[in-house]
Amino acid sequence: MIALLLTVGIFVQLSIHAAEAWQHFGISFLWSSEWDPAIDSYGALPHIQGSLMTTALALIVAIPLSFSVALLLSETPEWLNRPLSQCVDLLAAVPSVIYGMWGLFVLVPLMQDYVQPFLLESLGLLYMPGGEWLFGEGGSGFGFMTAGVILALMILPYMSAVMRDVFRMTPHMLKESAYGLGSTRLETTLYVVLRYGIRGIIGGIFIGMGRALGETMAVLFVIGNLMESPAGLFSCGTTIAATLANNFAEATGLQQSALFALGMVLMAMSFGIQLLTRYYLARTCASRGENY
Amino acid sequence: MKTDIKISARNLNFYYGKHQALFDNNLDIYANKITAVIGPSGCGKSTHLRIYNRIFELYRNQKATGEVLLDGKNILSSDMDILKLRHRVGMIFQKPTPFPMSIADNVAYPLNLHYKLSRSEIADRVEAALRGASLWDEVKDKLKASGLALSGGQQQRLCIARALAAEPEVLLMDEPTSAIDPVATLRIEELVMELRKKYTIVIVTHNMQQASRISDRTAFFYKGRIVEVDETATIFTNPRHQQTEDYITGRFG
Amino acid sequence: MMTPRSLFFRKCINHLLSLFTFFSISVALGGMGWILYTVFVHGLPVLSWEFLTSPSKPYGEPGAGVGNALLGTLLMTLGATLLAVPPGLAGGVYLAEFGKHSSLASVLRFCANVLMGLPSILVGLFVYAVLVTNTGHFSGLAGTIALAVIMFPVILRTTEDMLLMVPDAMRESALALGMSRMRATLCIVARSARNGLATGILLSLARVSGETAPLLFTALFADTWPGGFFTEPTASAPVLITEYTTNSPFESMHAMGWGTALVIAAFVLLVNIVTRCFFYENRH
Repeated sequence: MIALLLTVGIFVQLSIHAAEAWQHFGISFLWSSEWDPAIDSYGALPHIQGSLMTTALALIVAIPLSFSVALLLSETPEWLNRPLSQCVDLLAAVPSVIYGMWGLFVLVPLMQDYVQPFLLESLGLLYMPGGEWLFGEGGSGFGFMTAGVILALMILPYMSAVMRDVFRMTPHMLKESAYGLGSTRLETTLYVVLRYGIRGIIGGIFIGMGRALGETMAVLFVIGNLMESPAGLFSCGTTIAATLANNFAEATGLQQSALFALGMVLMAMSFGIQLLTRYYLARTCASRGENY
Repeated sequence: MKTDIKISARNLNFYYGKHQALFDNNLDIYANKITAVIGPSGCGKSTHLRIYNRIFELYRNQKATGEVLLDGKNILSSDMDILKLRHRVGMIFQKPTPFPMSIADNVAYPLNLHYKLSRSEIADRVEAALRGASLWDEVKDKLKASGLALSGGQQQRLCIARALAAEPEVLLMDEPTSAIDPVATLRIEELVMELRKKYTIVIVTHNMQQASRISDRTAFFYKGRIVEVDETATIFTNPRHQQTEDYITGRFG
Repeated sequence: MMTPRSLFFRKCINHLLSLFTFFSISVALGGMGWILYTVFVHGLPVLSWEFLTSPSKPYGEPGAGVGNALLGTLLMTLGATLLAVPPGLAGGVYLAEFGKHSSLASVLRFCANVLMGLPSILVGLFVYAVLVTNTGHFSGLAGTIALAVIMFPVILRTTEDMLLMVPDAMRESALALGMSRMRATLCIVARSARNGLATGILLSLARVSGETAPLLFTALFADTWPGGFFTEPTASAPVLITEYTTNSPFESMHAMGWGTALVIAAFVLLVNIVTRCFFYENRH
């Protein structure tokens, strides 16, 4: 009961408080990119783009990593497996503010002093065609790439835990018959185990996606908090959650209402991911006919 | 007749960790014959079979010593390529194991694994394999349907077709009908007898009628040892060992 | 004639995969090791009895500590647990035992899932809208409620999952003894799922103790002991870390942030390790 009330309540409350902003800016709030308290003009676009971009970066980094971590965890012998799994689980338990701190004091200088100069100057990536477009004005160490890396590290344990369970649930005989036809481990995994567990894998990815999208603190520390649309991988920017955390406490009037509206957008996005997951699961369930 | 021996196990021992499961197994498998392996549960017949394509190596703690000669070459030696070996020696399991993909893709899987082929070549070979497994007529209209949507017996024949597609020399069958209803079992038995013309078949079964119906030679396993190997007719009518006789007359097992 | 694929090539690719798995696990574990190492190295030097027990002070004043923030976190976490556990348990029992297949239950389940997936900062926003605007001030209570809202769905679903893991035979034999449905659940089922429930509660407690986002504009921050818990802004450790590291240029405050991070990380990891060990022992 309370769950129901809370869900509805959160939505209603956000709507009430966001109403003013919606009235003021209309639907174009979504694709207006200005954010200037001085003239009371607010638009959501940079924040939405920023959220999507950090999430996408995090997923790109985290999917292959968590996939192979899960693979390793599902195939190591028991004595090694338990401690390894536990360690990965602990990674999930570390509070996000600590990730943020680590990002700020360790990762940001690292990116600034080594990674970015190396990629941009030493490898000359900045000067290749489209380099400027891809990387943007970097150099500070803050920005989307740093946020993406931290987020990837944060969502990795969630995703690999789900994927590990999927790999473990694959029937032995199915794997054996793939090996029996002369498949290598990679081929068995890619063509058979992955197909068998695709629902679980996708589910795991969606879980990671939801977390990356809503994560506030770790991003807040390293994103640079610049109210502009993403200009490149190494450029500074903001995300919905980071904007909320940064500005809400001091905001009043229309700005506060606009922040509530941003919150609604975030809620809609996270809700959308969940619906998508459910829809996807239901559909694959139906198209595969039956389960083992 | 020596040249007709396809597989020859010599002093084969097998261990699950410290537990020894097979003791000094010596067994000759004749080319283009069906060899049935019978014995009570847990006597090591499946274990023995799983050495022939080294599938046991997927698991830690499992170890085989001795020799298994396939066309005179020891498959247990490290210079035998395991992928090539499994390409030559196909395996069918207790339960049907269609992969979660379409019927055609199931059969095409080993083809794509081992060869670079054009689409039309694959289609031809898929058809040939499905015909070989006498499944073609039943599925030719729904090749794109999921392999999981077939009945149990059809699924098992699909797995046989999949194994045939790669054109192996030997087919190992580990109780292939134990999870399948009697009518479908009969069809698979007919199929197996048909396949003898082209392949060497080793079939593990706990069903003595099945062994006597389809096999040319029979090996009787008991507690990890091979008690008796002979022509199937001899084993079932005139066994030399008391244990064999007791088992096939149903006094134990 | 069929052209075979190169075995060598296939094996090379396969070995690349193996290499990559090892690379990944070292990234995951290395990342964790690195984070903990950094927290430890930077945090340890500031730890002292005074640091843990003195209240925080504006920059420059001597004798500053983080005691108020730690106490605030403790109060809010415990308060949230008290608020979230009873309804969470009740809801979980309802879902698992009574309304398993009813449409109300599936709506509830869906809502709980949505709540669980909801970014925690939105919870903060919600509590701000409901409590802070209506009462007119930030307070520790608001923070507590925000944490409870985060905890509640987790406990609900854990309870349900744990109860569903209890075999039906156990349920049936309890009912066959003539117990009422309610009593059967409470006595037999809940008892056999007790460890799982305790684990769930402790783990979610550890999780919310490190939550920052929902506290930013509910409990806010203060340099005082949490005296007016219900009416005044209250300090908490995660918010202190945020304040000291992002809003302060001073090395000494960064160091205090690390110290607090060490305390929080140690607490969270300790709870995690202890509950996991405890749980595993009981399960085997």
